[in-house]
Amino acid sequence: MTLNAMQLLKFTWLLIVFMSLSSWAKDVIPIPQQVSLSENLKTQQVSISWVGGEATTFDLLILRTELNDTVFYETVTVAAEASGQSKFLWTSAEPLECTSLSFRVRSRSGQLTSDWSSTQILQGNDSPTDERMQAYPQDKTVPAGSNITFCCIIGEGKSFDSFHFISESINVTRLSRRTYAATVYNLKPSRSYGHNAYCKGKTEAELYGAVIFVGYPPLFTDFICETHDLTSAVCHWTEPRKTQLLGRRQTRYSINGRNCSVVHLEQNRKQCSFPRWEENWKLLGWNPLGEYSLTDIADVRSRVVPLPPEELSTVANARNATVTWQWKLNHYVSLPLVCQVELMSSDDKTKRTFSGVGLRSATLLDLYPYEEYSVKVRCGAQQNFWRWGNWSKTISFQTDSEIPSAPDVWMWMNGDTTGQILWKPYEPRKSHGPIVSYEVTLWSPDDITRHTQIVSPETFAMPVNLSGISINNTKVIASVVAKNPAGLSPPESLGLPLHVNDLDSEAITKVDFREGAFPLSWQSDANSSCGYIVEWYEASCQRDCPVEWIKVGEEITNVSIKSDAFEPGVRYYFSLYSCSSEAPELLKRWEGYTRELAPSSSVQLSTEQQDSDILISWSEIPSTHRRGFLLGYNVYLNNGSQLTKLASLSTQENSYTVKGFPLGSYKFTVKAFTSAGEDTGGTASITLESSADWLIFEILATLGVTALALIIVTFVCYKKRKWVKSAFYPAIPEPKVPSDWSTPHGTLDVKPSPHSMVHIVEKPEWDSSKEVLVVIPEEDEDDEGQGIRDEPVDTDEPTSLRYYNQVVDERPIRPRYPDSSASSASSMDSGRTDVTYTGIQTSGSSLVFQSDSQSSSDQPLVVPESCGGADGGYRPQMQLPPENDNASLAQSHSLPESQACRSGGYRPQNNWQLDSPDEADERRSLAPSLGSPTSIASTQFLLPDQSSDELAEEKHQSSAATWLTNLLSTTKP
Amino acid sequence: MNEHVKSRSLHLCTHTAATLLSLLLVMVFDSTKATVATQQCGSTLLQTLKLARFAQKESVDIIKTYKASQGDMSEIICKVSLSGLPDPNISGLESSEQMSSVHSSLQEFSPHFKRVFDQQTDLQLPDSPLLDQLSVISRRSLYLDSQITVLYQQLFPNSPPLGADGGATSLPPPQNVFQQKVYGCVVLKTYKEFLSNVSKYLRTLKNQMCGINARRINMFF
Repeated sequence: MTLNAMQLLKFTWLLIVFMSLSSWAKDVIPIPQQVSLSENLKTQQVSISWVGGEATTFDLLILRTELNDTVFYETVTVAAEASGQSKFLWTSAEPLECTSLSFRVRSRSGQLTSDWSSTQILQGNDSPTDERMQAYPQDKTVPAGSNITFCCIIGEGKSFDSFHFISESINVTRLSRRTYAATVYNLKPSRSYGHNAYCKGKTEAELYGAVIFVGYPPLFTDFICETHDLTSAVCHWTEPRKTQLLGRRQTRYSINGRNCSVVHLEQNRKQCSFPRWEENWKLLGWNPLGEYSLTDIADVRSRVVPLPPEELSTVANARNATVTWQWKLNHYVSLPLVCQVELMSSDDKTKRTFSGVGLRSATLLDLYPYEEYSVKVRCGAQQNFWRWGNWSKTISFQTDSEIPSAPDVWMWMNGDTTGQILWKPYEPRKSHGPIVSYEVTLWSPDDITRHTQIVSPETFAMPVNLSGISINNTKVIASVVAKNPAGLSPPESLGLPLHVNDLDSEAITKVDFREGAFPLSWQSDANSSCGYIVEWYEASCQRDCPVEWIKVGEEITNVSIKSDAFEPGVRYYFSLYSCSSEAPELLKRWEGYTRELAPSSSVQLSTEQQDSDILISWSEIPSTHRRGFLLGYNVYLNNGSQLTKLASLSTQENSYTVKGFPLGSYKFTVKAFTSAGEDTGGTASITLESSADWLIFEILATLGVTALALIIVTFVCYKKRKWVKSAFYPAIPEPKVPSDWSTPHGTLDVKPSPHSMVHIVEKPEWDSSKEVLVVIPEEDEDDEGQGIRDEPVDTDEPTSLRYYNQVVDERPIRPRYPDSSASSASSMDSGRTDVTYTGIQTSGSSLVFQSDSQSSSDQPLVVPESCGGADGGYRPQMQLPPENDNASLAQSHSLPESQACRSGGYRPQNNWQLDSPDEADERRSLAPSLGSPTSIASTQFLLPDQSSDELAEEKHQSSAATWLTNLLSTTKP
Repeated sequence: MNEHVKSRSLHLCTHTAATLLSLLLVMVFDSTKATVATQQCGSTLLQTLKLARFAQKESVDIIKTYKASQGDMSEIICKVSLSGLPDPNISGLESSEQMSSVHSSLQEFSPHFKRVFDQQTDLQLPDSPLLDQLSVISRRSLYLDSQITVLYQQLFPNSPPLGADGGATSLPPPQNVFQQKVYGCVVLKTYKEFLSNVSKYLRTLKNQMCGINARRINMFF
């Protein structure tokens, strides 16, 4: 209990002490009194003043009144003014109109502070009494790159929606019940109408905003004051950077404290004028963002810039002109001046300087006659030259004309006595006036007669013919003068050669085109008294050539020829002439190309066979088509798709012999080539054949062999003629008819020859009516001939062969068909088969009827259909199978004989020809008689038809053998 | 019988001729009336109508230029409404009263145009096309007003002449730049709406005064 009482007593004592100390401190640190506020809305600054006694340190507290947010709370040290007031200038980040602010101040002494002063409120525009919608700051101008805070006070009872700067929506901070703030950083320069910032309420009508102008403070350079008249001043300067501010915000200027009316010059230059010169000049410029100043100090005499001369005029002669001008100010009359005259012609511009006191004229020398000039003048002070004044206006004038200079004359002589006098058109400034005409005079020192001709100014050549010149004249001179309004030019004379001496082609030197020109050089010629003439022209030109030339002095021994007319691929001749009192003498000649090209045309090629060789020859390419120096010819073997080079020849050769090629067709191409390449080439073809001598030799050898063989055969046949006769032409006994000695007209029944016995073989597989004829080989005759002869072949009727004696019977063969028919008819009656032969002939190869055989192809043929089925037997040619009908016949008519019987069987040696359709019908009418005894009359032997291979072999038999066979068959002993 | 037929035919012919003659007289009268009406309404009214339409077209063009010369989001600026501007509507019941109302409004617009021109001079470069167009529409409104005055005198010769000043025009107090931009746009929009009403009024007046024939003629204008 005692302890508790003691503790309570101690606590009470401490409390009393603390309260005593506190009361003491408050009594010692005074509370700031008379706090007052003074705001600057434009700068958003508030000046806070109070009376704080002797205290110098204060705590300053600024709150947003409505929301009690602390805006500023800092301890500041402020010395009291003489009046005892302390002041602090505070700058608000937000416009002061945005919301109400509460200000309180307390004194501080170390850790001890006084009580807060009474609150001073800076009333904002968001008070309930002002219900309008508002935005701040309004129309503020800020420097580029700075930050700015906008605030928006929405209308009373309205709701805030959004805040926008330019086209962006900006986040906002609420400052009070109705106020919202948004900060924009790093502002970019605005255009003349500023940046728009605005806030929106919930409805479309709730919109309000502010415009802010962003720019730069003034800045300028090159501030200089000058004088034109030694009295007044013109100051000008340059603004390297636009302020981007306009109207009320634009930069204003003053010089030496006097406002000036700025004149805007080009390139951001500005100018201001004052009536009196002052030694010191100060330019001050200012705008809402700041100000800038420059100074200039100068004596008036060192800043003289004369005004441009006025009223320029000229007095022009042919070679000079005088320019005069006037001064606007009389001050210049006694002022030493230096003036610059700029003289401009069509291709030149020069400045000429003149000086003098009060200079008012200048004489321009060395002008060209009849030339257009323009001139302008500017001047400066001769003493203490500062700079040139501005140029005067430009005026133009033309100098007078003057007689022309002598024309440049040359000539072109053809091979004969004709030629041309040539002269060049005047270059600019050489005619000294418009040329009116040219006068060309031909004269001779030996003759007083002069031939003068006047030609138009557009004519630069005149033909001459020296054939009419008297033979007594040793020299003819051509003189040319030009005429312009000022008179005649000095004559230019040229001696004409009465005889043209040309150089040999070997004497022509090639010249290369180097660096855009043909470099020509020559040895100095002692006879050249007035220099040299170098002419050039296209080498292809022969008469009246458009020649160009230059004349050089006698000390010159080389020259480079340039011309825009030079073309690649064109050969030019360059001729050097010596100039003397006589006619020009040709000293040297060159030829060259600016650039060689491949020939534009190809050679004309021809080929010729020489024995087993081929001679290729070609003509030269015309010189105009060579387009370069020909280096040679390339000879190619052309196989259509590929060229095989055979030879490369020089230009001297125009033929080439190809040897060792086998017989056949060949194509050759020859291409001429220059350093630029080959032409397209000329092509020719040839077929290499065996030579005629060899052919004749072969023919003669063949004929010799053939003749030798014939001789041998003939000799053998002669030696063995009996055997031959007995073998091939056995003796036929003469019929002995006692009563009639005439040659029998009917058939002669003979026994078949043993070597051509024909008998009918009846094959078992055949129809009984299909009989075949079988030739019994001659070899069989010896062995089996007798047996066969005795053996009855045809069991029905005896077989007999009936021959026409060709020697006796001279009637044509074909008309015998009726006879044969009749014979057949008679044989039908007799029931025998008669075969009548008129000769021996191989199948289808009779030489005698070759023509008939050919013609018979047009005739209807009767070909037995069964011949294809016959195999080795004999059958009558007219024997038709029973099943043969008209259709098959008609079809068989169209078949050639060789086809009809190709498969085998037998066929007639010659085609049977029916004389008339009736005959054909008649033949067909014989069909029913098949199978019965038939007599067949034939004018030829029937030979066994062979196989196809044999037939082919037959065709290869030599005609000589056939001829021999026929010869033997027709030979009678 | 024949006599009766002939008499009936003669009567029919006479009746037809009389009808045709009456129709012809009506046509001649109508033509004369139309000619007189055309002469009365021809030149001044039609010229005034054409001028109003042309001024209306110019007002459309200048609004486009104006919006393009006020910076970004100028479209929304032109949606703000302001008070204290001339009424775009034409008041009055009688035609003469309506024409007088047009005259008064045109005179009221004139100081507004000057105010807008001055304000924009502070915002635009000296060679801005907006300044040129503002000058043009200001002069055009004066010319249209003079045309209206002449037309009024022609159509209502017995009515008291239109006042020269049109009454005192109340201009808005000094404005910040944002308000100036809004004000200029609203002035131009109001002027455009007013010219539209004037054109409608003049068209109606033309129809009343000139009739169908005038419409036919007007088709060619």
